Amino acid sequence: MAPPVQSQRSPSPSQPSGKGEVSDLKLQLRQLAGSRAPGVDDSKRDLFKKVISYMTIGIDVSSVFGEMVMCSAASDIVLKKMCYLYVGNYAKVNPDLALLTINFLQRDCKDEDPMIRGLALRSLCSLRVANLVEYLVGPLGSGLKDRSSYVRTVAVMGVLKLYHISASTCIDADFPAILKNMMFNDSETQVVANCLSALQEIWSSEASTSEEASREREGLLSKTNVYYLLNRIKEFSEWAQCLVLELVAKYVPSEGSEIFDIMNLLEDRLQHANGAVVLATIKVFLQLTLSMTDVHQQVYERIKAPLLTLVSSGSPEQSYAVLSHLHLLVMRAPFIFSSDYKHFYCQYNEPSYVKKLKLEMLTAVANESNTYEIVTELCEYAANVDIPIARESIRAVGKIALQQYDVNAIVDRLLQFLEMEKDYVTAEALVLVKDLLRKYPQWSQDCIAVVGNISSKNVQEPKAKAALIWMLGEYSKDMHDAPYILESLIENWEEEHSAEVRLHLLTAVMKCFFKRPPETQKALGAALAAGLADFHQDVHDRALFYYRLLQYNVSVAEHVVDPPKQAVSVFADTQSSEIKDRIFDEFNSLSVVYQKPSYMFTDKEHRGPLEFSDEVGNISIGIESAGTVVPVQRVEANDKDLLLSTSEKEESRGPSNNGSVYSAPSYDASAVSAAASQTLLELAISNPTVSGHAPQPSLEIDDLLGLGLPVEPAPAPSPPPLKLNSKAALDPSTFQQKWRQLPISLSQEHSISPEGVAGLTAPQALLRHMQGHSIHCIASGGQSPNFKFFFFAQKAEESSTFLVECIINTSSAKAQMKIKADDQSLSEAFSALFQSALSKFGLL
Amino acid sequence: MLQCIFLLSDSGEVMLEKQLSGHRVDRSICAWFWEQVIAQGDSFKLQPVIASPTHYLFQVVREGITFLACTQVDMPPLMGIEFLCRVADVLSDYLGGLNEDVIKDNFVIVYELLDEMIDNGFPLTTEPNILREMIARPNIVSKMLSVVTGNSSNVTETLPGATASCVPWRTTDPKYANNEVYVDLVEEMDATINRDGVLVKCEIYGEVQVNSHLSGLPDLTLSFANPSIFDDVRFHPCVRFRPWESHQILSFVPPDGQFKLMSYRVKKLKSTPIYVKPQLTSGAGTCNVSVLVGIRNDPGKIIDSITVQFQLPACILSADLTSNHGTVNILANKTCSWSIGRIPRDKAPSMTGTLVLETGIERLHVFPTFQVSFRIMGVALSGLQIDKLDLKNLPNRPYKGFRALTQAGEFEVRS
Repeated sequence: MAPPVQSQRSPSPSQPSGKGEVSDLKLQLRQLAGSRAPGVDDSKRDLFKKVISYMTIGIDVSSVFGEMVMCSAASDIVLKKMCYLYVGNYAKVNPDLALLTINFLQRDCKDEDPMIRGLALRSLCSLRVANLVEYLVGPLGSGLKDRSSYVRTVAVMGVLKLYHISASTCIDADFPAILKNMMFNDSETQVVANCLSALQEIWSSEASTSEEASREREGLLSKTNVYYLLNRIKEFSEWAQCLVLELVAKYVPSEGSEIFDIMNLLEDRLQHANGAVVLATIKVFLQLTLSMTDVHQQVYERIKAPLLTLVSSGSPEQSYAVLSHLHLLVMRAPFIFSSDYKHFYCQYNEPSYVKKLKLEMLTAVANESNTYEIVTELCEYAANVDIPIARESIRAVGKIALQQYDVNAIVDRLLQFLEMEKDYVTAEALVLVKDLLRKYPQWSQDCIAVVGNISSKNVQEPKAKAALIWMLGEYSKDMHDAPYILESLIENWEEEHSAEVRLHLLTAVMKCFFKRPPETQKALGAALAAGLADFHQDVHDRALFYYRLLQYNVSVAEHVVDPPKQAVSVFADTQSSEIKDRIFDEFNSLSVVYQKPSYMFTDKEHRGPLEFSDEVGNISIGIESAGTVVPVQRVEANDKDLLLSTSEKEESRGPSNNGSVYSAPSYDASAVSAAASQTLLELAISNPTVSGHAPQPSLEIDDLLGLGLPVEPAPAPSPPPLKLNSKAALDPSTFQQKWRQLPISLSQEHSISPEGVAGLTAPQALLRHMQGHSIHCIASGGQSPNFKFFFFAQKAEESSTFLVECIINTSSAKAQMKIKADDQSLSEAFSALFQSALSKFGLL
Repeated sequence: MLQCIFLLSDSGEVMLEKQLSGHRVDRSICAWFWEQVIAQGDSFKLQPVIASPTHYLFQVVREGITFLACTQVDMPPLMGIEFLCRVADVLSDYLGGLNEDVIKDNFVIVYELLDEMIDNGFPLTTEPNILREMIARPNIVSKMLSVVTGNSSNVTETLPGATASCVPWRTTDPKYANNEVYVDLVEEMDATINRDGVLVKCEIYGEVQVNSHLSGLPDLTLSFANPSIFDDVRFHPCVRFRPWESHQILSFVPPDGQFKLMSYRVKKLKSTPIYVKPQLTSGAGTCNVSVLVGIRNDPGKIIDSITVQFQLPACILSADLTSNHGTVNILANKTCSWSIGRIPRDKAPSMTGTLVLETGIERLHVFPTFQVSFRIMGVALSGLQIDKLDLKNLPNRPYKGFRALTQAGEFEVRS
């Protein structure tokens, strides 16, 4: 396993000390160039080898270019190969000298030996010197007609290389048409495959300028072409099969029976020894059956075994790539691997990147039937030698606990972790217990008994310390020592380096004060004083804020800092399903490994030439390509940039709440500094987006507290008539964030009237009309017949927001609406308002 | 597709660079990459697919050599990784192993091979049989010859005939005086036994390896007595799928020489041939270890080369371990290896001793995992049996040989 231990390697004897050696070489080569003595080839070979080895270790040997070319007029094929290698490396920087090589390369292109012809042609095309392209066309033309398939294979790739050096030369010589012809007629499949890959690349990049090329590009996906390739697929090399399969995955069959034909034809590809072929086939299967729910489920069953084999039989690197895909699949269909969870048990020798993915898989496949076994297994990893993995596995236990209904056994395990007396285990477990309590407050008695026994001196990690302090504050009523522990922590204020911990300390001591005033008063005073003197802006501000709040009215302060809490039902940091859908569309690509859709990590210019479906799969909220976005209000950037910016925001926020899960209700992202959910409520008061209208401050506070909390008058039986705020404001990024976080509360489809369709010729009119009804448009786009609008509205006197996605298809005269709302109970009422507004426009 | 391939030594030195497309990739990417490796402490710990500021990188580590490929476009990740794995396999096959020196000595061959395996960033052929026909292997004999006669090229004279034939994996018309074919069942048992001694997972990964020296274009059929035991199978491209689907028969035209006909998985095995029972009790700064090994389920053949290995936790100062059978070695990297060999008839092998913990630590909190290895010749533990092998299209009766072998794969016992 481990490489042989090589102590200080002595510098290799061939390592040249300087320029002298190179000029020495030059001299020797020159002497050999003209010589015809026997054995000269052999000495040439040694010299060439030396030159190449210098080149390989990064020494510039371009100065011997002329001599190399002179020497290369030999018949020895190894010499030729070395010379081709050398020339290919330096031609680009020495275009003048490269001209010298053209002559002998062209001669070699006519050699008797097909291998030499092929190699020479390959080198000729790899020179990549723009002013030499004229010399390429001839040899390429005859190469494409060569009787040896090896030369044809090389020539087809040569055409692509030529295209990248000079597109016009390639098109003018009519090479694409020749390739197309070869693709359908050549007997050798490697030639066909190269034609396919070359044509894909050429036509995709031509498509933007030429109508014909874009038609040809579409033609590649035609039924005849796809079927032609599929029928020959078994003759293709494994790599070429991947190429064909990738193309087939984009093919949209016109009728259902085709789907089954294709799947039958490709079924045995799932048994292929090459993992890349298997995964490409799986992609085809999944894409083909997307619209057929039943078959799609059967596909999951069918691909399960091959995928598991790939995971367990390959090298760790292969397992890693496959596991990333499994993770995506299991997110969409959790049931598929739930009985095969043992495949994801970690093995001792595996690298940690594989173990990490396996832990994620174990978390994802856990359900009622297997939780016990999985948690037992995970608990064994907690004593693992590999500390990061031990931590991850404890987190995994916590995640499973948060997603399960029956948590009895898991809570016991977590509490056992707390008693394991290992600092990192305790730290992770504390964070988990905190999250658990926020979701299942009923466990507080059991947990607090154990947490109370933990000495705060043994907890050093800020995250864990913050969690412990949060619990001390939250459950100070039941924890006998709470005020005194907090007090001792406050005494050591100066030594506490983490601002997060200090912030939590302030909040906890406030909460403790409301519950047990006499015991805490002194500590509170000390904490506020220390906080006010703190150099950290957030800590200082929070201390000041608490201080003034207390000064204003103690009961209001209690209301703000320690309101009655509801158990958290869903934590907000789970990835949005739309992003997952998008990644799913890019199955078998890097997106899956990075868990991000490709537009989030690739520049447009670097996107693959095969990116056909850019416009089709665009699901996220801005939609439509940049050109068709109608700027409304403050939306000036196009959708992709918008999405990118929010995702960046999330990333930058990532480290601060990494590991522990916060429930961030749908406020502005700026509110999520480093605080737990209830502190968010406090901060929301200063949130600028909320204060659209500003009456008296005290009322405002009550109002805000009502938000999302049971204090609100229950609207369910007879909802009061809904009034919307006519001056509502929402910035696009907040909109996006909300759109991602909120569930769809209503989804409807209506047919629209012909007059309405006519009215849509000027979408602006609709937007103005809707604005008159206090429903604002944040983004719109689309071209006839498909229009897409994103609206939002806010409830008057309250910050409860409604978000609407409205897709109108004028040709089918249908309108689809998806409504999301902060307050689900109001969505019906809002929907009625929205529809009446639409019908007044004449749409419905 | 792929834009460049680098081969790095175990000290991060660029040993080889192969540019594949017009977009030249600067060597500085390797420096960036190596910084990441150092930050992780070990290239084995770095993820196989990473994004650098300019490129996406695929990396595969074999025997201390890092195979690094760069691309700027989205592509199937498994394709990049799988290709690099094949490159590593082919090189190690050609050069008889992988290490820094052997690559530096043979860099011309490596360049030649890469030239045929990938063009313009797209993999062409990685089939060792075909490559072997295009580029001859550097062997001792040809090296000697070239020294003596000064005239030997490592490029074969002709292009592979197979590139034009309809069975791309087979050379046209090899000729042998003695026609022979050997079929080996090679199985690996992966098992995990947890802290409570429960067998949580036990499965077999097996391969059917064939070594064929047959003239002409033979057509073979291989059938199993109990094909229903397979959970999943994967085939060499030469296997025809339909006969398998309908009758579970392997029908194929074999490549010439050694190849992997199929691989399979059999899961949910009920027991292991041997047991390993570690017991660790710690207190007052020391830890008592006792490990017992014995036969649980006699496979009917001799169990050979048994070794038990485990990593001593970092908090252990010294270890004193002895065994009543076999030898115990503690290596410099704190790995303890107990090689038992065969289990004697008269006694059960055991290893006992004490570990001294670092001062200040009362009890052991990190428990080692014991990795077990063994070999059993003559038996396939999955129970798989070959029924018969038929050969058609052959001039004379060939010799057929069958063997079976089971060894421990990832066989681990947690304590």
